[in-house]
Amino acid sequence: MSKKVLLAPIDPVHDVGLKMINRGLKEAGHTTVLLPPDLPPEEIVEAAIKENVDCVLLSRTLGYDVAEHTARFVDIAEAAGLRAKVMLGIGGMAIRPELGAEMGFDGAFGPGTTVGQAIAFVEGRPFHELTGSGAERTRPDITEGFTYQYKHAEIERLLDKLVDQFMEWVGDKTSPAVERAKLRKQIIRTERNGGDATDLKQEYGKLCTGAAAAYYKNGALPDVVKKISDRELELLDQYCKDADKNGPAPDIRRGAKKPLVFTQYGTGCLVTDIAHVKLLESWHADGVVHFDPSWGARTEGFLEGVLSHKGDGTIITTENMAKIRQSLQKHTLFQIRAHRGLNTPETVMLAGEVGAHMTKININYGSLAGGTDPERLAVDGYAAMGYAAEYGLPFDVVTNEELAGVPAHKAFAGMLVTAHIGRRLGAKPVLQPLFCKGAEALIRGLMDDNHVDFNAAKVKALRSIVDAPIWPGAPVGFMTHTEDRVQSAMTTALHATLGASVGVEAVSIASTDEAYSGGPIIAGSRVDTLRAVMECLRFLGSAQITPTAKADEMATEIVDGIVKVLKKAVEVGYVPALYAGVFGDADDGAYPGRAGKGTVTRKA
Amino acid sequence: MENSEKRQPLDALLDGLDIETFFMCRDEAEGRSLMLALLTQLGFSDVDIVFIEHRGPGARVRGRAYLHRPGASHPFGGQCA
Repeated sequence: MSKKVLLAPIDPVHDVGLKMINRGLKEAGHTTVLLPPDLPPEEIVEAAIKENVDCVLLSRTLGYDVAEHTARFVDIAEAAGLRAKVMLGIGGMAIRPELGAEMGFDGAFGPGTTVGQAIAFVEGRPFHELTGSGAERTRPDITEGFTYQYKHAEIERLLDKLVDQFMEWVGDKTSPAVERAKLRKQIIRTERNGGDATDLKQEYGKLCTGAAAAYYKNGALPDVVKKISDRELELLDQYCKDADKNGPAPDIRRGAKKPLVFTQYGTGCLVTDIAHVKLLESWHADGVVHFDPSWGARTEGFLEGVLSHKGDGTIITTENMAKIRQSLQKHTLFQIRAHRGLNTPETVMLAGEVGAHMTKININYGSLAGGTDPERLAVDGYAAMGYAAEYGLPFDVVTNEELAGVPAHKAFAGMLVTAHIGRRLGAKPVLQPLFCKGAEALIRGLMDDNHVDFNAAKVKALRSIVDAPIWPGAPVGFMTHTEDRVQSAMTTALHATLGASVGVEAVSIASTDEAYSGGPIIAGSRVDTLRAVMECLRFLGSAQITPTAKADEMATEIVDGIVKVLKKAVEVGYVPALYAGVFGDADDGAYPGRAGKGTVTRKA
Repeated sequence: MENSEKRQPLDALLDGLDIETFFMCRDEAEGRSLMLALLTQLGFSDVDIVFIEHRGPGARVRGRAYLHRPGASHPFGGQCA
């Protein structure tokens, strides 16, 4: 129903906010009367009576004598009989909701109030921020529209040759992880259908080590692990319902298609994780990335149950992952990473079974900087990519070995091999270069002048090789963060903005606690970074950051380097090349991992 | 959460509390001890300095008190392991 609204600044000069609200009200079909600034309260009240309005909206920007001015207006309005007839609202930079309520206003709005809020107040309805893009958000597909066609014929030829060799080698191989994944799939499906999986679990337990073996033997959990109670889950469920009551938040890009913004979590405690995930959604993140504990990557097998863990990383169990998946809004992308450890195929299978949307696999990173034996991870990675294809899970191929010191061209060569294997299996890989200040950049001075060129060069190089999605991570700005909240949020936001400028499909971002090692990430630190990213993406809009000419030189150098690495790898074969340091050697800080060494066997 | 109207501020705190300020102090060490003393005086025990930078007259400092650490406790029904 249309209302008549009088808008008046009780302020000597400022009325911009009211003008915006005035326009919004008119567009919403209401009739308005906008008074100029610096009128005495008597004149405003007189105008309201004369115009016979339904609502009066006042504003105050200047911070002095706010209480006196507002109180005087209310007194005069009451004396004139206006107070009983109309709705009174007040807002502006100097207004605090507590003050407005104390003075008897029907509504009081402080800094940050939107036009939508003011209109909702006039219309007497609850404010719902999401009449725009948020309400219509759908879950995006980061790989949509990419052909995976190569633009660099020689690299394609080398990858074909290398992957042909690899496929022949891997075809008859298996590992405990590959076999466990098959058993776990049967366990999940048996229990889902109400069956008894006891025998399957006994069989599974025989393929486990450490904490997982103990669990399947006698039900024991490690001291640092605890089952989460039904009561805790009940309270958490209520928190999730409260968080979701207003529907999805608008996207962080103000409607632009990319880059999607992912945030990593993995505090150790499932409850805290879900609590954080809900605020990440509320502050506009597109997706969340699950981090598991480092010991989980070194242990053969998964525990069971809804579990918390005292330490970094949240334990992967079917129940934990399902619980997190259930907590997410329908548009939120859920990635479970599986890129480095002894449970890689099972993680991807499990991700598929619980309805996750993406995973993370990289044979090179996991075996050269993640601690897993190259032969083992090659076999496991191959199986994992098969599951990624089966469940339709795109997977990113993260190049975190660059943080260990491996030059970008070597890390990228490895990334392309993993991606090419994935394509052979029908999966959809996503290339994940690091936007970071790694050892190569420091040693060679590649970022001495600016932080734009080298990162932009990585994207240019990859774009010149293959038509595939690119998702810099992880998180962007790695090694540029400090413990200062402002600097940390800013460097993340600037790197995300660079990602937007060079047209990447997604970015992974940190919190402002990225460089703080004294304790876990807190909720407020996540919000701060997301707000900074939102502001920077808003600042950039459809404009662009222009790298210098050096970015082209760097990109060419990376591509040439990739060709050289792949040629060497073809000479010895993919897996031997991992051991031989072709994709990164000890001088680069890359060491073939030892976890799982000697566990690859021929298929029965 | 239930009984939101009656909830005490610290009961509503999800994990940690940061306090940021500027201390007039001689050096970083004094700034650190001032912040840690402030947090302790406020009744917090699990405290740390997240960031401090001393220049000229004093230090910009951000202190933190953890109310809940993941795996130890959370505000959804009590203590963990």
